Amino acid sequence: MQLDISFIMTAFLEILQALPLTLAITFVPLVIGFGIGIGIALIRLYEVRYIHRVAGFYVSFLRGTPLILHIYIVYLGIPMIFDRLSAHFGWGMNSSSIPLIIFIFIAFSLNAGAYMSEIIRSGILAVNKGEIEAAYSIGMTTRQAMWRIVLPQALLISLPNLCNMFIGLLHGSSLAFSISLLEINGKASIVASTNWKFVESYIAAAIIYWGLTLIAEQITGLLEKRLRTFAKGGVA
Amino acid sequence: MGKSFDIGLILDFIPKLLGYVHVTFLILAGAILIGIVIGFLVALPRLYRIPVLAQIAAVYVSFIRGTPILIQLFLIYYGLPELLKLVSIDISQWSSMFFVIVTYGLSIGGLFSEVIRAAVTSVERGQTEAAYSIGMSPFVAFIRIVLPQSFAIALPNLANLIIAYMKDTSLAFSIGVMDMTGRGQTLGTTTSHFLEVYISLAVIYYLVCILLESIFSRMEKRVSRYERKFG
Amino acid sequence: MIQLRNIRKTYGKHSVLNGINITVEKGDVIAILGPSGSGKTTLLRCINFLEHPNEGEITIGEVAVDCKHASKKDVLALRRKTAMVFQHYNLFKHKTVLQNVMEGLTVVQKMPAEEAREISLLMLAKVGLTHKADSYPSQLSGGQQQRVGIARALALNPEVILFDEPTSSLDPELVGEVLTVIQNIAQEGVTMIVVTHEMGFARDISNHIVFMEEGRIIEEGKPQDIFNAPKEERTKQFFKRFTNEWSYSI
Repeated sequence: MQLDISFIMTAFLEILQALPLTLAITFVPLVIGFGIGIGIALIRLYEVRYIHRVAGFYVSFLRGTPLILHIYIVYLGIPMIFDRLSAHFGWGMNSSSIPLIIFIFIAFSLNAGAYMSEIIRSGILAVNKGEIEAAYSIGMTTRQAMWRIVLPQALLISLPNLCNMFIGLLHGSSLAFSISLLEINGKASIVASTNWKFVESYIAAAIIYWGLTLIAEQITGLLEKRLRTFAKGGVA
Repeated sequence: MGKSFDIGLILDFIPKLLGYVHVTFLILAGAILIGIVIGFLVALPRLYRIPVLAQIAAVYVSFIRGTPILIQLFLIYYGLPELLKLVSIDISQWSSMFFVIVTYGLSIGGLFSEVIRAAVTSVERGQTEAAYSIGMSPFVAFIRIVLPQSFAIALPNLANLIIAYMKDTSLAFSIGVMDMTGRGQTLGTTTSHFLEVYISLAVIYYLVCILLESIFSRMEKRVSRYERKFG
Repeated sequence: MIQLRNIRKTYGKHSVLNGINITVEKGDVIAILGPSGSGKTTLLRCINFLEHPNEGEITIGEVAVDCKHASKKDVLALRRKTAMVFQHYNLFKHKTVLQNVMEGLTVVQKMPAEEAREISLLMLAKVGLTHKADSYPSQLSGGQQQRVGIARALALNPEVILFDEPTSSLDPELVGEVLTVIQNIAQEGVTMIVVTHEMGFARDISNHIVFMEEGRIIEEGKPQDIFNAPKEERTKQFFKRFTNEWSYSI
């Protein structure tokens, strides 16, 4: 068999239809995970009583287990809990009415939150201690110093890692097909098996992922340059 | 989903699934071996700025960094036999284990190369100069002075990559490898207790992860003992 | 005997060394002085080809190298005739003090480990660091590290040891111990070329001073002549600036 170059183009266009879904699976958990990440990072940094241990275990366990299992466990576990609660409180709803993508959002957000908390935590720790002391010295409260002085710098320091998180989620989205969501990988496998052209379809999918990754890297590069000039001298 | 949740089953499943943990280690070990070779092959042209080869290496790394491991796996699984057919080698009947190890090796090798590159460039120029000044040839200086120091610098990042790929071995079942996750699928089908299976798998992966982390942290202490101020 | 003939070095259009000639006899201690940017460190690094001279001829003992056409073999031959003590010590970080000194003997000179060890311990005794043999460089002070650097160079028994500002990255209170060690080995008749900013030290240990500026040798001669009665206007000015800094103590 020869490589059918023109079919790569055909497959490319067809698979591209799945782009919005893939982007949704990438962006929504990125945003939610970011919120979880900041929360967890602060809980662990301030060693909030009792829950910082839970937070520590959450981070360690999710970072120590494969994403595919997070998807399966959420996909099977959430409906079970939902149905129990529904029966108990008489919501009159069944878990089968939950759209599949919600499970992906939950699984990916929990996963991303664990990773991002570590990124943000190390970003916060990298901020110059002297600046925190300076913030206190002009009378800021702990909260003010954190939100106004530390976090903005921590996020800037974390930017490259946060970009890697985006790329990680983008690539992770290829696992959403395991619960039958037709994102890029899912679409590719459908196109592949209906036309019996596996190599061509996966090449097309690879090109899309690769292109998205390159764009993400470019944007981060630009963003970093921009922010660094804004913060001239302010950021180590 | 199957029958109602039974937490007791997890204790029952874990030993059954653990019987397949060696497959995970086998994939990982094979991938690391291939990865080290690929890592150097890809890093050296860029370190020594060899034209053309350096550009090819850069594109290779970009592709590996730019595509999901699952897609890479499918590309090798479907593509490699076709490619080798052109030179009349038939590997279409080879076990899927082979394709997984090759894919993971090629993939981790691309990322290894970046770590190697960064580590080698971070060894101070003065170390090489001192080696030259006592009469070492460039090759001997690289092997005896630069490499051991770069290994110490690179180890934490290499460890992270290896642990990440360990978790990714859970995708090998998608081309039919009978590893823990693959066995988990059949176990789930026969017992209809998928959720318990996946929780058991998560526990096992977590333990393997902790095991690897402790091995690596011990290694790190060993190879970087020269950096400790006191001791 | 060491001979440098017409050594030239340029970086792009910028010329750093404009034809340097120096002859060093066995047992000589040559001090190269001059303001920063005069090319003295570059000259030193040209001798063992850490910088490649564009032109000229370097002869060390029976090894004669035409710089323009120097092969890898030539470079290696020169490096095996010389040893260098660096401004930033450049000890091998992943090796202990003893291993640092032994490395050149076992790996380059292929000496059996036992013999190399004996020699190395002897050298460490000479610089007063026998008790640190099993420490790593990171556990030593700057002065101690530099003394190990000297032992490492000394162990190779080279035709000449090249000192590249051996004390300029040391804290002031550590300079003395290093200068003492260098002075002691100078008295043993080891041939040395020393680039330094320590004027008093240069005057005391050297038997020949070379004063450089802008890639040229402006003046050279015996220390007492150069220090007490410099002939060139530039040399006079230079030494005037340093008169007050002559006081150092060993």
